Amino acid sequence: MRGSADPSRAAVHTREVWKVFEQEPKDVQAVRAVSLAVERGEFVALAGPSGSGKTTLLNLMGGLTRPTRGHVWVAGHDLVGMSNRELARMRLEHVGFVFQAYNLLPVLTAYENAELPLLMSGVEEGERGRRIGELFERTGLAGLEDRRPGKLSGGQQQRVAVIRAVASRPDLVLADEPTANLDSVTSDALLDIMEELNRELHTTFVFATHDPRVMERARRLIHLVDGVVASDERRGPEPDR
Amino acid sequence: MVRAPVMIRLALRNLRRQARRSLLTAAAMIVGGALLIFSVSLGDGTHEDWIEAGVRMGTGHIALQAPEFLATRRIEDRLPAEARAAAEAALTRPGIAEHVVAVVPRLATGGLASSAAGARPAQVVGVDPVAESGFSILDDKLVEGRYLESDDRLAAYIGTGLAEGLELGVGSRLVLTAQDAGGDIAGQFVRVVGIFRTGIPEVDQALVHIPLGTAAAWLGSGADVTTIAVLLDRSRSVSRVQRTLQRGLAGPIGAGELTVLGWRKAMPQLDAAVKVDDLGQYMFQGVMFGIIALAIVNTILMSVLYRHREFGVLQALGFTPRQTGGLILAEGVILTALSGLLGIGLGLFVTWFFFRDGLDISFTWQEDWSFSGVVLEPVIVPMFRAARVLQGIVFVLMVGTLASLYPAYRATRIDIAEAMKFER
Repeated sequence: MRGSADPSRAAVHTREVWKVFEQEPKDVQAVRAVSLAVERGEFVALAGPSGSGKTTLLNLMGGLTRPTRGHVWVAGHDLVGMSNRELARMRLEHVGFVFQAYNLLPVLTAYENAELPLLMSGVEEGERGRRIGELFERTGLAGLEDRRPGKLSGGQQQRVAVIRAVASRPDLVLADEPTANLDSVTSDALLDIMEELNRELHTTFVFATHDPRVMERARRLIHLVDGVVASDERRGPEPDR
Repeated sequence: MVRAPVMIRLALRNLRRQARRSLLTAAAMIVGGALLIFSVSLGDGTHEDWIEAGVRMGTGHIALQAPEFLATRRIEDRLPAEARAAAEAALTRPGIAEHVVAVVPRLATGGLASSAAGARPAQVVGVDPVAESGFSILDDKLVEGRYLESDDRLAAYIGTGLAEGLELGVGSRLVLTAQDAGGDIAGQFVRVVGIFRTGIPEVDQALVHIPLGTAAAWLGSGADVTTIAVLLDRSRSVSRVQRTLQRGLAGPIGAGELTVLGWRKAMPQLDAAVKVDDLGQYMFQGVMFGIIALAIVNTILMSVLYRHREFGVLQALGFTPRQTGGLILAEGVILTALSGLLGIGLGLFVTWFFFRDGLDISFTWQEDWSFSGVVLEPVIVPMFRAARVLQGIVFVLMVGTLASLYPAYRATRIDIAEAMKFER
């Protein structure tokens, strides 16, 4: 296993984690005995063919699904045994998500979508405005705050989703195929933003992807095959701790 | 964790997002709310009319009688003069007097009315003519002659049925025969001064009013009476006044001389009619709101299924399953509360048109309708009661909440990972 052996020091840590989906005629072992640790500030890509277990592992890391066996720690919190309410609180405080289909709430404006996790966390209005405003500036979305998702391009929507994911300063951002619906130029621009946020805010990013652009930029590339870690390659320096 | 304003803002935006669906559901609720208030106001107005007519034709909102008189209707079961005096004094006390519109003493007995043409059973009531004309509506039902007056002695006011049966007219003489206070049979000669027609056959064929003094002298009952009938400002005052009277008259009541009867007890048929009519109305409203509730369930459930992925996102962002259900509940309750209140407002507005002149349904009537001593009036004047509006609001909120519970429950049961995969 690469990374810290101490779950409390890692942004996310899995130990012998399994996810088995009961299915006829045969159960599907989507994730099998995966043990890995992602340190704070890492920029990691989980790669692998379709059905390799990338998304399932990401969901396990984010507490969106419960492991069949094994343990998952996020920012030192063991997710196994947590109630749904505790898991929700853990996600709110420690994890941000970016999805392939953006998944912004259509009834809210770009600003309100980005603001939602902060509102839910009880961050006061002035602080919310400062953080979101800065992120809109940084991501080139200034002036589009009042637009509904339907009035934004795919790239703009995904940038709003990234702001929503990082605004509450989580320990971990999990991004599931964030560039899959974007053209190459937009994908590169989005990845630039995420790299910058990773560098400057030390936000930990874990991507599930089969986009070569993401894999190229990742400073750690983990290959999954049939639910098992086939390789774990670090290409850059260890993040500052 | 998730603040209420966030939930409410999301709920309102979601309702606006599905504007057509929300409006259709709201329309059903608006019509329901309006019908609820209109029908309840008409129903209350009708019942108040029935009760008003019933108590004026009968023994008032409250009757003070000897305990056995309700069952026996016999002169020996009468109020002694002391009990009568205590009752009349109690009715002038604060807490009671402000609700009392009229008080009449009556001396009633069953007997026989005879003329040269024959004899008929009669319900003879000795009344104080002046007090009675401010209480009973019988003087308004005059068809010939006049009602009793204060200086009348041997006068009788009879119904058309009895007049026809005994071939009597104004000025005709008849003899009333009944058992007197001493248990002997006694006769009294009287002359017809007026004839009435109520439309209630049993009243028109049997009721005879004569002056109280004449009746007392004929029956040898002195200052005793069989009933003190009390008319109150409104039927809703009955329970309070009845309780206060019972406390104030604990002595005679304890001695078994007197009982205080509300109109429901004194006129059980009228009470039953009001209850049956109420039940019919509740059933109608239940069916109507049952259908509306199903429409709400359908609308909100469709919305839950349509927004499966969205709920997954909300939970990924930190909503708990319960909060997700709460959001759906909020949407349902807000939609039904707003539209229900609008409907109630509309209902009040429509009802307001009929508050003065009432709703005339005489075009549907062929002849007099009566029951339990009450002639139904073809003009229904609705009645406004703030409590009914409050009940309506609570009912509408209850329907909205109940109808949203199942969709809300469904929203709590989603699997986040599955929902994120969900394809529309």
